[in-house]
Amino acid sequence: MIDKKSLQWIAWVLILPVLLLRGFTTIYPVIKTVFNSFYDIRILSGVNEFAGISNYLNVFKDQKVITTLKFTGIFVVVSMFFHIILGVGLALILNMKFKGRRFLRTIVLIPWAMPSVVIGMAGKWAFNNDYGLINDFVRRFHPDFQLNWLINTGSARAAVISLDLWKDLPFFAILVLSGLQFISSDIYEAAKVDGANAVKSFFYITLPLIMRNVLTLCIPFTLWRLTGFDLVYSMTSGGPGEDTSLIAYRITMEAFTNLNVGYAAALAVLLFLVMAAFSWFNMRFMSRFED
Amino acid sequence: MKKKLVSVLLTAALTCSLCAGCGSSGSDGGNSAASGDGGSSETASDDAGSTEASSDDGAADTGSKDGEYDLTLYTINSTDADFNDWLANVEGATGLKINVIAAPTDSDTRQQKITTILSTGDTSVDVLEINDEMSASFKNSGWLEGLNDTVMTEDIRDEFPQGYVADMITDKNGQIVGVPGYSGYLAFWVNQEIMDEAGITSIDTKEEFVAYLEAASGDGRYGYGGSWEKTYVFNEIAQFVNMFGGDYLDWTNPANKEAMEFIHEMVEKGYTPIDQIADKYEQMNPKFNDGKYGSLFMWGLGTDYAQADMLGEDKIHMTMVPQFSDKRYIFTDSWSYVLNTASQNKEAAIKFLQYMASEEGMKANYEAFDRYPARKDVAEKVVPDTDPAKEIYSRYANECVVKGRPMLPQTMEFISAMGTIFQSYVKDEITVDEFCAKAQEYVETYNN
Repeated sequence: MIDKKSLQWIAWVLILPVLLLRGFTTIYPVIKTVFNSFYDIRILSGVNEFAGISNYLNVFKDQKVITTLKFTGIFVVVSMFFHIILGVGLALILNMKFKGRRFLRTIVLIPWAMPSVVIGMAGKWAFNNDYGLINDFVRRFHPDFQLNWLINTGSARAAVISLDLWKDLPFFAILVLSGLQFISSDIYEAAKVDGANAVKSFFYITLPLIMRNVLTLCIPFTLWRLTGFDLVYSMTSGGPGEDTSLIAYRITMEAFTNLNVGYAAALAVLLFLVMAAFSWFNMRFMSRFED
Repeated sequence: MKKKLVSVLLTAALTCSLCAGCGSSGSDGGNSAASGDGGSSETASDDAGSTEASSDDGAADTGSKDGEYDLTLYTINSTDADFNDWLANVEGATGLKINVIAAPTDSDTRQQKITTILSTGDTSVDVLEINDEMSASFKNSGWLEGLNDTVMTEDIRDEFPQGYVADMITDKNGQIVGVPGYSGYLAFWVNQEIMDEAGITSIDTKEEFVAYLEAASGDGRYGYGGSWEKTYVFNEIAQFVNMFGGDYLDWTNPANKEAMEFIHEMVEKGYTPIDQIADKYEQMNPKFNDGKYGSLFMWGLGTDYAQADMLGEDKIHMTMVPQFSDKRYIFTDSWSYVLNTASQNKEAAIKFLQYMASEEGMKANYEAFDRYPARKDVAEKVVPDTDPAKEIYSRYANECVVKGRPMLPQTMEFISAMGTIFQSYVKDEITVDEFCAKAQEYVETYNN
């Protein structure tokens, strides 16, 4: 009889290539990024010197970053709020029995399947005052309507958030739908017998039973919003000014356009910490919710 | 037990093959660019279409193909319909086999790719085309090979626009680091139909320019149009500052303030739309074609207008830049071919660059891409008198003060910062004095 524990080294040998690869592609960059964040590295100026925590301090003095952080916060909160509200709503619709349900479930995912850069470029035109389909639609009801969405802070931010919702909301809804399908129809029938109407059934049966599913979905969807970059990159380039700049976009600009590698690394480390903290809080909340 | 044995054997085989793959890749990578032999090809050099498809993946795509080529060119022209003919011409004339990588069409992405290639010492690309923004950033970085003794030799150097060569592509040691691929002007374009309708026959002075703006504006039409997206508006701010006799790198100069107030007034009076702060050239040009703008400043020879059948003396055409101050001012630009210092195919690259700097090379560029020759002696010979650009370009060269655009080493950061405060200014979020103070602060910040 072979002792299973004595063969464990084989398992380690087998996964060693993956561990090495993973270490090189993930752990090393993370360590290097943290290291770089303490250096003033400006490639175009040929500067590379130890800077202590000055990169971190500069983050809170840099107006561009402050504006970026504000919009990132707004973007994440508003987008996630509507993801949850509209996503659950759409999932409920998709869970209803009606003709063409399968077809709808399929086509609803098309925006999600499209690359964000393509959607961003299309969005830039869609929200154009002269040539955009949004205003063209509105003008069918209000012929004098004039609004170039992407030139004012509020409307540009609204445009970016709505496009983000248009793209990712269906995927969120489909995932919520998978949770809905696990709820037995017997529960609803029993509730109906007890006199519960549709609204009561939703709040007392559906919502509690899908809540864990929704909260779990909130983790990756929020993290994706926090690291969102391509939509803004292709749609507004962060404009007007820096008003629609997201933190991941700013990091990319600092790192690859301005070549301020140390500063970009500090921003990336801060983003990493925010994401880690968010995930931790969310998981704590979920475990409390379970209790 | 048997299953376990088979599993172990299969895993061992897999591991061996992985290791073999790593080893093979490593050895190829070590000399791929240098040796010019071995490797396999995924993209034929005469297939510009397929190179375009791979453009977004950057230089790494060519790693396995180095063996079949003498040099690798990172180009912005591969989507041009005549690119294959151009490439055949160049390969025939130089005897070089050229691997082509298409640069991304998006300016930010392109700049990031090129910056990454050059800053990391990537050897997989030998010759690149870079614009003025990149020239200003890279020329003193040591990433570009000096060409004084090999390509931009004294016998031909004087034929290139002197101001441009000195301002944009000469490094701190006096080495010229690029071969201008063409000569372009930020030309003044007008819509003749709108001019006729407005009864304007000349836009030669500031007063005539304002009169045209007034006459042409109204009912959803604007006398002047632009692309004021934060990274694009730089050209126009600098052009107006120039026209008012100011200095873009000195915002204490009263002429700068006057220029900014003039632009603001154009918005206020409805001569130009505030909407254009979201516009890049791809939004601006259709509007010009559609008759929404009466005039604008734009690079190139009007390909977009020609494609819309709007190019012509009776439609959209270039005209002389109005004179606002003591002289007429105009900017020139180019995309220059540069040699990557890390290149391991320098001999071939220099041969290529020598051809690009020669009369034949400039002619090939002009014929394939409609790029006006950078060398004035070549332009004189090659460009036919029937080309409408010849007369106006000749007038620009002779009647205007021709300048390279004012750029600082931290080019894109500076351009973007200036664009951001410009947008705030025209939206009345800051005053003109605040704008000038901030602009001066940026000049000082990004000039080191």
